[in-house]
Amino acid sequence: MIHLENVSKIYRTGNREVAALLDFSLDVARGEFSVLAGPSGSGKTTVLNLIGCLDQSTRGRIEVAGMDVSRRTVTQLASFRLAHIGFIFQSYNLIPVLSAQENAEFTLMLRGVPKAKRQARIQELFERLGIAGLENRKPGDLSGGQQQRVAIARAMAAKPNLILADEPTANLDSKTSEDLLELMRELNEEQQITFLFSSHDPMIIGCARRVIELKDGHLASDSKDSAA
Amino acid sequence: MNLLRLSWRNLWRNRRRTLITLLAMALSLMLIQAFHNLSTGVYQRMIDSGVKAGSGHIALYHRDYPGTRSEALSFAPEDLVQQLSNLPGIRAALPRLYLPALAQSSRESRGILLIGLDAEKEQPHNPYLKELPESSRLRLRNLRDALLGKKLMEELQLKDGQKFVVRLQSRSGEMAAELFRVRGILETGIPEVDRATIMVNRPAAERLAGMENQIHELALILGAPQAQEALLPQVRAMVSSSPEIRALGWEEAMPNLANAIRLDYASQKVIFAIILIIVGIGVINTLLMSVMERIREFGVMLALGMRPRDLASVILLEGFLLGVVSAILGSLFGVLATWYLKVRGIDLRAFINESIEVGGVVFDPVLRARWDLPAMAWAALFMVLLCTLAAIYPSRKAARTAPATAMRHV
Repeated sequence: MIHLENVSKIYRTGNREVAALLDFSLDVARGEFSVLAGPSGSGKTTVLNLIGCLDQSTRGRIEVAGMDVSRRTVTQLASFRLAHIGFIFQSYNLIPVLSAQENAEFTLMLRGVPKAKRQARIQELFERLGIAGLENRKPGDLSGGQQQRVAIARAMAAKPNLILADEPTANLDSKTSEDLLELMRELNEEQQITFLFSSHDPMIIGCARRVIELKDGHLASDSKDSAA
Repeated sequence: MNLLRLSWRNLWRNRRRTLITLLAMALSLMLIQAFHNLSTGVYQRMIDSGVKAGSGHIALYHRDYPGTRSEALSFAPEDLVQQLSNLPGIRAALPRLYLPALAQSSRESRGILLIGLDAEKEQPHNPYLKELPESSRLRLRNLRDALLGKKLMEELQLKDGQKFVVRLQSRSGEMAAELFRVRGILETGIPEVDRATIMVNRPAAERLAGMENQIHELALILGAPQAQEALLPQVRAMVSSSPEIRALGWEEAMPNLANAIRLDYASQKVIFAIILIIVGIGVINTLLMSVMERIREFGVMLALGMRPRDLASVILLEGFLLGVVSAILGSLFGVLATWYLKVRGIDLRAFINESIEVGGVVFDPVLRARWDLPAMAWAALFMVLLCTLAAIYPSRKAARTAPATAMRHV
């Protein structure tokens, strides 16, 4: 599902160069439930951004769902994300002027799915995520946990192959975090969606089947290798 | 949910800012529409009184008369008056003679312009003759009746009913004189006219000048001024067999009036353009502020798979919707303001004591608007276009957002 080969990402600030990632390689298979772990500044979000086609690498080759995404136009990458990738963010990032239902069906709307089909899909997801009845509420009227469930529904709505979740539990209490994690794990098992988290939350690390640890932009350890 | 609805909701995120922008734009549009209508009303009245007292909407002259105003350059209308009167759209065909002459009372003499006209035909159209009481009007059968400009009467020290003599060089080159009697006083408010005009029945002027069946001007009054464009070529075709006759539109026949109006409207257009530039800057400012506040959100939308051009469309639609709402609101204000200016008008009499003449026409001190619905619609459409164009820069800025950078934006 994901193939990173000697990928580097170097940021330039004035005359200074900062390497966020250096010669990083990684393979993630379809249906994995993995976590990128490591302290702040270790390069977790950079890896997630590169896999999610939100940023371009300085060097190296990146393949997601069988496509080389290293050198594509912004429009091609947008279409690719729409077709293959779902995102869950730390601070939910729901669109404030849209209702919970409209937020969740946003990607379906971008894909041009008819209204009736969109509503049916969101209804199904809301029931599954335990937020049925909140469809017409605006994000401001929802709790953090409810907002993150809506964000999960949004990520799941278009049935992506891959869901990238950047610190999804960072703003939630432990009970809500546990519930959501359990839910994502069930969805992973039921629908074989690949989940890749970035987190230093022990709960996520404990729940993941594979932990990829980064340190200073390098791969520090990979539990897959240890198991082998 | 579609892009249009998303844009509409985005527009109302900051309700107060949007309302202030909308109000500023709507008031600007109202100003443009109402002042355009007011100018149209003022110009129309000037043109109306100008053409009716002057050349008419279309005027026929001897080919060289407009340039020289020489009394020798007359033409015989023959049956043209009748033919043109029968043409649909023409309300009246008014033949006139203009003769430079000398008016003498028992005490004074003055150089004057003797105008020979068909009083009964002119009466319903000429605004100055229309105002005369019945007892002061020229009588058709009395060839000694004369109307004198008010100032001329004062200068000649004449009173109503008194006699005076008009002398001129007749067509044959002889000096000719005729006795006339003051029948009424002309008060146009134009000093040159009031100081030097005498109107008499055309047969009296013809006889005096020895110019039987000759005229200098055939003024055509139209039912609707806008019909001039269609009628002028027809009239030209009708007189094409007489090469010495030339038909002119009122703008050519009265270039002073046409130029005064053109100049005034041009300066007004400059003011309208300045207003629109200010509106455009206001719209760009509002949309740009709104875009800068939403950078993070744009990053999220792009991350979710929205194409940059769709994001640009959202911002463009916000500008378009802002334009549509302000056009509707502004047009509503514009209609109310025009209605007020049409019914009540602006009375300048408290500020202007004397009559003002513009381009040879007396300026009515009570300004009244006139509906110009196509121009109002164009102004509203232009407002929508301007807002949409003003949204281009903010929309391009939004579309260029890099998702990863934008999502780090606080």
